[in-house]
Amino acid sequence: MIFQKIKGVFIDGKKDLCKKSPLKEYLSPKYVYIPLLQRTSNLKAEVKVGDEVKVGQVVATNEQQMNVRVHASVSGKVTAIKKVWHSSGKMVDAIEIENNFQNQLTESIKREENVDSLTREQLIKKMELAGITGLGGAGFPTHIKYKTKAKIDTVIINAVECEPYLTCDYHFITTYPEKLLKGATYMMKAADATKVVIAYKINNKQIREAVQPFLPKFPHVELFPVKNVYPAGWEKFIVEQVTKKTYNGLPAEAGVIVNNSATAITFADAVEMNIPLIARPISITGEGIKKPGSFYVPIGTKVSELVELCGGYVEGLDPLKYNYIAGGPMTGRAIFIDDLVVNDTLGAVIVKPVIEGLHPECLGCGKCADVCPAFLTPTEIKKAFERKDIKLLSDLNANKCVECGLCSYICPSHVEITEAVAKGKDLLRKGAK
Amino acid sequence: MARFAGGKAPFLRASDEKDYGTKVMMKDFMIALLPVILFTWYKNGIQVYLDGNIGLLEMFYPLVFILLGGFISVMMEGIFVFVTNKEDRSLKGIMTKLSVSFSAIPGLILALLLPLYTPIWVLIFAAFIATIIGKMIFGGFGHNIFNPALLGYTVVGFTLMGVINNAGGLFNASEAIIDSYAGATPLGALASSGQINYDILVAPYGSLWDFFIGTIPGALGETSALAIMFGGLYLVIRKVIKWYTPVIYVGTVFGLSWIIGALSGDAGLWFPAYSVFSGGVMFAAVFMATEPVTTPTNILGKVFFALFLGVFTVLFRFVGSLPEGVATSLIFLNIFTLPIDKFTAVIRTKRFTKPGGLYFGILTGLLLVLAVYTLVKAGNMYTVYIPYLGWVI
Ligand code: SF4
Ligand code: SF4
Repeated sequence: MIFQKIKGVFIDGKKDLCKKSPLKEYLSPKYVYIPLLQRTSNLKAEVKVGDEVKVGQVVATNEQQMNVRVHASVSGKVTAIKKVWHSSGKMVDAIEIENNFQNQLTESIKREENVDSLTREQLIKKMELAGITGLGGAGFPTHIKYKTKAKIDTVIINAVECEPYLTCDYHFITTYPEKLLKGATYMMKAADATKVVIAYKINNKQIREAVQPFLPKFPHVELFPVKNVYPAGWEKFIVEQVTKKTYNGLPAEAGVIVNNSATAITFADAVEMNIPLIARPISITGEGIKKPGSFYVPIGTKVSELVELCGGYVEGLDPLKYNYIAGGPMTGRAIFIDDLVVNDTLGAVIVKPVIEGLHPECLGCGKCADVCPAFLTPTEIKKAFERKDIKLLSDLNANKCVECGLCSYICPSHVEITEAVAKGKDLLRKGAK
Repeated sequence: MARFAGGKAPFLRASDEKDYGTKVMMKDFMIALLPVILFTWYKNGIQVYLDGNIGLLEMFYPLVFILLGGFISVMMEGIFVFVTNKEDRSLKGIMTKLSVSFSAIPGLILALLLPLYTPIWVLIFAAFIATIIGKMIFGGFGHNIFNPALLGYTVVGFTLMGVINNAGGLFNASEAIIDSYAGATPLGALASSGQINYDILVAPYGSLWDFFIGTIPGALGETSALAIMFGGLYLVIRKVIKWYTPVIYVGTVFGLSWIIGALSGDAGLWFPAYSVFSGGVMFAAVFMATEPVTTPTNILGKVFFALFLGVFTVLFRFVGSLPEGVATSLIFLNIFTLPIDKFTAVIRTKRFTKPGGLYFGILTGLLLVLAVYTLVKAGNMYTVYIPYLGWVI
């Protein structure tokens, strides 16, 4: 109670479904669909139907909100603006680009001479121009983190990937270990920090094996194993373990910036080759997929094509008895129609059976409060929400819920308690305005 | 393109596994009652038969009585569901409802709280109060305020105790003929003598070892601390209950009783040991103070609940005219479960900043005042007799 220490819960990773097969590249889909939504920003299309675009060309922006820029991920012709399913669970407008398979690059994509002499400002500018966002799922524009006024001494690379099923980061790191170290080093320079810590799950010794040979060239980088629990990959949890410090708002308070490992690898390309964020790794996995695997694909690729590459769904799959989940199983979203496109935050699509059962009511066992990494009391937040008691919601810190899903996971009565807390959080945010 | 199922994150649930979930917890709860049931069968059936005081068939009576308690409760809930649920009255529909209602448990616990020679109609009446009034009227499992079994027991205890005593009451055939008992349980001896005296309270029943093992007169399930501890250990290992609830509760009763003994001039450890091993303290600690629905949910709430329960048990037992403080204090505290839950949740999140600190102060203050009050009054109890103090507060 007094010494609140995040413990986390061991959850069967089910990562073996997809861990064995290596990362496959699938770089030339016939069409890509660039969603005009990033995180909460609606984007303005900068191209018209009929325009020819090159790889890396800016196709959509939102200058008001943190200068978001999105780039074409293949070269070809803009053929339509149409609605697609997005990982946020909504249908959104997207720019349809028909691939001309020429792979014409925009002029700005070229090798950067003198990477070592780039200043902090130049590096941050590159981040911004390359439209780099947090690929771990948050999708927050990375350059904003680096524009902090706080003194940063450590950049932590989050290679934990604590959600079950997911292996895309694991595959990306083990395929490009040197790029990871380079990207992390550029990030360190962009933050004016002196140290990089790569946090990975202790049971992923392959990550250590892949990265270690390059470490002598990067003496400022340290590997830091974390426990195999959920949510070991939560920013606050990692920062607490690495620095033994905690913070309230942003990690910068503890003198650190945390970035996802895939973001670091992407940033390495952005610095050295001026390649913007146009591709990302993604796992297609779950019990409903014939041969699960991880892919490196252009943003905007249709997930259905990747499912085909995995041999399709398992024989005789009844879709109404399966969930089609965008993102990890703990925090992802059920998508009704399997017509999703890959966007910057989509790390996985999981097709897994729905397990039905009759469940009793909440019995007040308190397990949800025991496991909550934010030390909240979900049952009371639920009651406060039902009574629309905003004062109580704020006394209960409903806004601190990170929607990790642990409370619902652990609940023996299968109560949708995460959803209830999230609603309470929403009500508090709306009510507080 | 295909249409997939909906659902809410997380899409992994521990309760989807066969070996985890509320049903498993409730099954564990019943398993934990086994040592208690077996012991009481041994003590009130087998041993009495071996003594030659009852016949072979009567030997099974305690077991039958307890199982009957469970059975009656299940039947009553079944009938309730049948009457209230107009849409689906099929046997399958009722069975499905019952499978997530765990109705056998209040029945079993109720039977264990009652004396051996409770007339069956009294058991049925108590089961009615427990399952229908105590549980179903509130909305069924998960919604009840009072511990159903305890409510049934308390109502019967206040209204029909005379009937039970006339029917033979607490004493099995072997105990009824032991002269030194003089027709009283250890707690009854304290209430009637009003003295903290080893020779009156413990010696007639053997030694404290008998109190621990459970070979003393008392309600069916409450006498054996040993059997209860086995059950409790099992529940803790299976993560159904938290170890600290019973430990804090028993510890509080033990500590306060010790001080009371000392204030009355006998600081021996026998008195607090007598205090926790007699009456229903141990049984309540393991099987009722931990009952999830009617006790607080979060850790801090459980701690406060156990502390308050300990103080109230001692208060009702030693100050006031009730022979047994356990049931009354539990029923009384059940009312405060919801507010305790709410305030401790705020303390948990706000810690010692406003308003957490304030609530924390109020709760601890209240607890201390009550404890001191109890001690002062109980220290006097053997000289000044204050009737019904428990109800005045
Ligand atoms: S979803 Fe929110 S309330 Fe539930 S465990 Fe996670 S942080 Fe706590
Ligand atoms: S919501 Fe679930 S985990 Fe939380 S107290 Fe209720 S039954 Fe227990």
